[in-house]
Amino acid sequence: MKRETADLMPEARREGLVVQELSGEVLVYDRERDKAHCLNSTAALVWQYCDGKTPVSQIARAIEREINSPVDEDIIWLGVEQLGKTNLLRERATLPSHKSGLSRRDVMKRIGLAAAVALPVVTSILAPTAAQAANCLPSGAACTSPAQCCSGLCPSGTCP
Amino acid sequence: MPKLNLPSVKPASDAMSDIGNQVWHESLCFTSYGVRVGIRLNRKGALKQILSYLPPGWKESRSKNVNRLYSFVIGDKTSRGKRKRLNLVYADENKVAETPKLDQAIDAFEADLQLFVADTAPRRVFVHAGVVGLRGKAIVIPGRSFSGKTSLVAALVKAGAIYYSDEYAVLDERGRVHHYARPLSVRENGHLAKPKKYRVELLGGKSGTKPLPVGMVVVSKYQAGARWRPRRLSEGEGALELMANTVSARRQPEAMLEAIREVVSLAPVLKGPRGEARQVVEFLLKSFASR
Repeated sequence: MKRETADLMPEARREGLVVQELSGEVLVYDRERDKAHCLNSTAALVWQYCDGKTPVSQIARAIEREINSPVDEDIIWLGVEQLGKTNLLRERATLPSHKSGLSRRDVMKRIGLAAAVALPVVTSILAPTAAQAANCLPSGAACTSPAQCCSGLCPSGTCP
Repeated sequence: MPKLNLPSVKPASDAMSDIGNQVWHESLCFTSYGVRVGIRLNRKGALKQILSYLPPGWKESRSKNVNRLYSFVIGDKTSRGKRKRLNLVYADENKVAETPKLDQAIDAFEADLQLFVADTAPRRVFVHAGVVGLRGKAIVIPGRSFSGKTSLVAALVKAGAIYYSDEYAVLDERGRVHHYARPLSVRENGHLAKPKKYRVELLGGKSGTKPLPVGMVVVSKYQAGARWRPRRLSEGEGALELMANTVSARRQPEAMLEAIREVVSLAPVLKGPRGEARQVVEFLLKSFASR
C-alpha cells in the first residue's frame, strides 16, 4: 500500500532481512526477494531513522545533529523514495506532489556543492542461484536452459 | 561376488529404488569440505577413472549415510552387440548426464558434484573465483566462466604466485581463503573448446594449503586491447561483486555476509577491464612488493 503525505513517517522494514554493517555503508540481504543491497552512508542514516514515528523533516534535523552539518530535506525524500523502491520500508512511500519526480540530478542541481552529505544511493543485485554462480555445464550434461551450457545451447535437455 | 556396503541417502524415493534395481559393483563414500557424498557404479574397475574428478582434498569416509548419492549406470553393448547403451549419471534420483561418451558423463558428474559441495558445505562460503597467494596474502579474482580468471591465475603462477584455485575462493567466517587446488582448466582453442586440465606443477608453480587472509580482490574481465586502469570500489560495492559470484548466496546469506564483510574490511577491491594478463600481473607484483 502506498502512502502520500507531506508528514510521511516512513518505517524501515526489519523482517526477512539480514543486515551487516560496514564502515559507513550497510549491506542488506532481502530473503524474500533474494536481493542484496548496499546502502551508502546517507541512505544508511536515512534508513536508520525511519522508525515510523519521525516525519521526514525531523529525520533531516536528526541527521544534521548526528553529522553536525546542515542536511537538505530533499536528500531525505530522495533516500525515502529509494528505500521504498527497493522494498526496505514497511510501506512504499509516495512523495508529496511538490516532491514527486524528484531526481538525483534535480537535488544535485539545487543544492550542488553546498551539500555536506553525499546523495543517498542504494545499489542492488539479484543474488545468483547456485547454478548461476557456477561454471557452465560441459557437453553431455543435463540442462534446463541454454544459459547453463558452455555452448550456450540446450537442445532436448542435454548440452551439446 | 562379495556384498558391497553401499552408500545411501535417507529418505530414499521411489525413483531411487528404480535406479537401485541395478547391480552395483563398486562404491565409495567420501567427505569434501564437510559434505558427505556417495558414488556407486554398475561396472567393476570404473571407479578409479572417476577418482581424479573428485574435489581437491576429499577423504574416504566409513559412514555410509551421505548427503548425496551419485549412481553411474555405464552403458555396455546390448546383447546383439551392435549398439551401445547410453551412459547415465544420477544425482540422487535426478539424471545429470545421458550420453554415449563416458568422459562427457564424468564431466557432468564433476560439474554437479562441485556445485553441490560448494552450495551445501557447512561453515564455508564458496565464491566463484580464481585465487593465488602472494607474500602471505591471497589475491581473489571473482568471475563467471569466460571472464579470463584462469588465464590470469596461470600468468600469476608462472610469475611466482602460489596456486590456490581457478574455481572457488573458499572463505571461512574470518574471511580467510582455503585452497581448492584442482588442476587448472585451460581453454586453449576458443571459448567453446573443452578445457584441458593442467597440474600446477606443469606451469612451474606449486599449490598452497595454508589458509590465507585476503590481500586484494581483482574484479576484471578480459577485453581485447583494454588497458588495466582499475577503480577502487567502496567496501559495499566490493561486497556486492563478491556476492554476485557466491554459490550459496541464497542458501546461507548470513554466513555469506559475515565472511564477505571480513574480506572487504581488510582488502581493497579493484575493478576494471583488462587486456593481456601481463599488465595485471605486473601491477599486482609491484603492489605486493611494496607491502
